[in-house]
Amino acid sequence: MRFTIIKDLKQDRSMRPILNGLLIFTIMYLIADLFVIKSSLGLFEQEIYKTLYGDKDEFLDPMSKSIFLEFIHTQIFFMMMIIFTLSTVYMRLAFKLSYSLFAVNTLLVSAFMSLILLGLSYYVEKDYISLYVITFFIWHIVAFYMAIFCIWSLSFAKCI
Amino acid sequence: MQNAYKYSVIYFLLFSLLLLASSVFLFEEKIGFSHREVINYYLGNEVLFQSSKTTTGLLKVLLPHIFGFGLFIMVVLHFLIFTSYNKSKYIYIVIIATFISGFFELFSSFFILYGFEFFAYIKLISFIVFQSLLLYIFWLLGSSIFYE
Repeated sequence: MRFTIIKDLKQDRSMRPILNGLLIFTIMYLIADLFVIKSSLGLFEQEIYKTLYGDKDEFLDPMSKSIFLEFIHTQIFFMMMIIFTLSTVYMRLAFKLSYSLFAVNTLLVSAFMSLILLGLSYYVEKDYISLYVITFFIWHIVAFYMAIFCIWSLSFAKCI
Repeated sequence: MQNAYKYSVIYFLLFSLLLLASSVFLFEEKIGFSHREVINYYLGNEVLFQSSKTTTGLLKVLLPHIFGFGLFIMVVLHFLIFTSYNKSKYIYIVIIATFISGFFELFSSFFILYGFEFFAYIKLISFIVFQSLLLYIFWLLGSSIFYE
């Protein structure tokens, strides 16, 4: 990745718009992801519960094993690509900030845990759903902050 | 490797392990790890009420996987450049073997569909070799992060 070796990203005429474009697409992905998850799995505890385990009153079947595995397999792939790219750009731009490592670790740990907790909710115990919801929102909020910070830092900040 | 990037690579490897684990579970759930199960999955089985796969159906699954495999293998392998294994000759063999096993893992299903049942073995072997090579690369990267 060339942006990891360029000395000053803000002074590089070609890399700045490229990274800005990437970050805008990342923000669009994060927003679109919320809508997709809302319709496929559900965003909050009750919705997820109904999707995973079904609901007799509403004649909803539980999610089958193969559909769940396909869903989580796709999620892992897209999440790892988005998060890895975003955290690399962020670390390149915010390495002087004291809390940058904390932000990156929060993003990566919460994203990783959200996947583990979703798996545990399906296979082991229903109670993990609430923890999954918390970690899911944490990683989305932190990723959103990091993307906004990077755009601001690339385009407007004078000294970071 | 710079310290800050080590974090990213470690987490990337953790996610990669999850991806590999989910693909093994998915393979077991949808296809199965025996020659007969692979044949049944692609060619169908009237007794088990399994329908055969179509070329279009296979292509729909294959298309995102071709992109995903290429990107994923490239990202994982390019980390090796930052390690001491970069100059090792046998890493070249590992790189080629990873791409070849990935290729057969993807395309052997077409040969099965067109009647070459022998390719069910190729599918199973290439899947296991591909996963093992990726695990080996993860181990190389992990060891270079923690011990170099």
